Amino acid sequence: MAAAGSRPSALAGRSERRSELIAAYSLIAIPIALFLVLNIGSILYALYISFWEWTTRPREIIGIANYQEILGDKVFQRSVTNTIYYAALVVPLQMALGLFLAVVVNQKIRGQTFFRAAFYFPAIASSAAITVLFIFIMSPSGLFNEVRSLLGLNPLFQALGFGPGHNWVGNSSTAMNSIILLNAWTTSGTMMLFYLSFLQTISREIYEAAAIDGAGPWQAFWKITFPLLRPGHYFVATVSVIGALQLFDQAIIAGGSGGEPANSLTTMVLYLYREAIREFHFGYAAAVGIILFVIIFGATLVQRRLFGQAPSW
Amino acid sequence: MTTIPGGAATTQAIRPQTALSEPGIAPVGDRSSGWRRRVAYVVLIGYALLMFLPFTWTVITSFKTQADSVRLTFIPNPVSLRGWENAFTELDPAIPVLFANSLGIAIAVTISNLVLGSMAGYAFARLRFPGREFLFLLVLATMMIPDPLRLVPVYQILRSVGLLGGNLQYVGVVVVLAVAAPSIFLLRQYFMSIPVALEEAAKLDGAGFFTTFWRIMLPLATPALAAVAILQFQGSWNGFFWPLIILTERNNATLPIGLVLFQEQYSTRWPELMAVVVIATLPILALYLFFQRYFVEGIAAAGVKG
Repeated sequence: MAAAGSRPSALAGRSERRSELIAAYSLIAIPIALFLVLNIGSILYALYISFWEWTTRPREIIGIANYQEILGDKVFQRSVTNTIYYAALVVPLQMALGLFLAVVVNQKIRGQTFFRAAFYFPAIASSAAITVLFIFIMSPSGLFNEVRSLLGLNPLFQALGFGPGHNWVGNSSTAMNSIILLNAWTTSGTMMLFYLSFLQTISREIYEAAAIDGAGPWQAFWKITFPLLRPGHYFVATVSVIGALQLFDQAIIAGGSGGEPANSLTTMVLYLYREAIREFHFGYAAAVGIILFVIIFGATLVQRRLFGQAPSW
Repeated sequence: MTTIPGGAATTQAIRPQTALSEPGIAPVGDRSSGWRRRVAYVVLIGYALLMFLPFTWTVITSFKTQADSVRLTFIPNPVSLRGWENAFTELDPAIPVLFANSLGIAIAVTISNLVLGSMAGYAFARLRFPGREFLFLLVLATMMIPDPLRLVPVYQILRSVGLLGGNLQYVGVVVVLAVAAPSIFLLRQYFMSIPVALEEAAKLDGAGFFTTFWRIMLPLATPALAAVAILQFQGSWNGFFWPLIILTERNNATLPIGLVLFQEQYSTRWPELMAVVVIATLPILALYLFFQRYFVEGIAAAGVKG
């Protein structure tokens, strides 16, 4: 930021100062205008719309009636439970997998670049492609059921209550768990990359000192790496929770806009989408958006309280 | 679909020669014995195979017949092009239409992010003007806004200016994705890392701000521009949320939207569906193979999750 200030003052004449201002404002004009309208402005607009009975067009101002109706709605409550259940399971899974992969890839190993690329691989495909592929693999006669049968695991699954042709994504008891599995898998590569950049800030000397004191790799991990990664945990957890609370793509692709079967895949965002785009309840849906924002913001603040020491962003 | 605030990762990752492409430090296992190493390799290779298996399975299935597609065989018997043929002849909207839509939108979004992102990034990095810090904070703050919250207001705004009908839907999608905060952020950080002396030399030769930006700064920022381009192209190509909401005309759909339409219609015609999955994934896979470095750096720098 001091960069611009270090220009020789002899050059900073009045006309040059003016042309700098003109240059600056014309360079930022379009981006800032877009941000003001489509981001900052849209929050305020959403808040405004949420106080209206607004279907295909604005009808009347009804105050907080939308909010009251939402909070009493059984399907909305279900969507909150579903979303929180998903986040509570997927976040620790993503973090643990990401951390594990990062630590492994950070070792002095041959083919390090290859492994990093391989572990990130599932994250490059679109959510649509990967979900359709996942539905195929988890279908009654799909790869997953075939392989477990081949490995002789069917009795085990039978004991857990899953027959040989179980439809994982299509059954209300396993649909959400399947999506959790899918997203833990596809997102672990991204989490690995985040953890890697934090791992690389830990100085090597600490490990050398620990090794001299006779610490093994296991101890070194739990006594050094894990606690020193605290800013990393905080960052990854925050990113992961914010993403998880907005689960949508996989839910609507696997369960349609109804979150089938039996609303087991209806998440908060899916509920918002359904109310807005399918039912044209724009006022109501805008209020759902505001509630979602409050929940996400609240979760971020709680995490900050619990784990952070805000990182230097 | 979600954009997330860049974290502490940013500061280390965006600099010209970043740490991510260098061999990492070896905290644990430096002096580990042979067996531990071997176990590690077995785990690594096993997990890497698990990463590739699903996509390999997709490719194999796309060359199977319908009856063969539910069998656990790794070699299609017989090898059939029927799935591919049907995918190209039967599906509506046709694959080439979806492909062209995806490509056109991705190119427009990428160019727009490069142009607008580098303009704003340069101004925020180098020019002095009242409100600079505040406006930059404003840009960063937009990363905290969840897309779903913007669904209703953005939909209403686009509708009121007529961008939700017919072919103007393309414009609508591109406007919504025209400039992402991470593009500005990434380029600003990069411009700030370029020595000021280079610009001063240009100034002494009488170059104005625009000439300096265009002739000196932009060429120097090629690596950051590449990272932004890859990030945005991939994001737009794979994008689901905004295309689903805005591109409601069937023939305006992109590949991900088309794939979901097909999935509803042809629920268990796996060879056809897997052929479309391959088509939707192949361009990004090719980009990834050639520009892996930029993927990894762009993600780590911008904190953007797909």
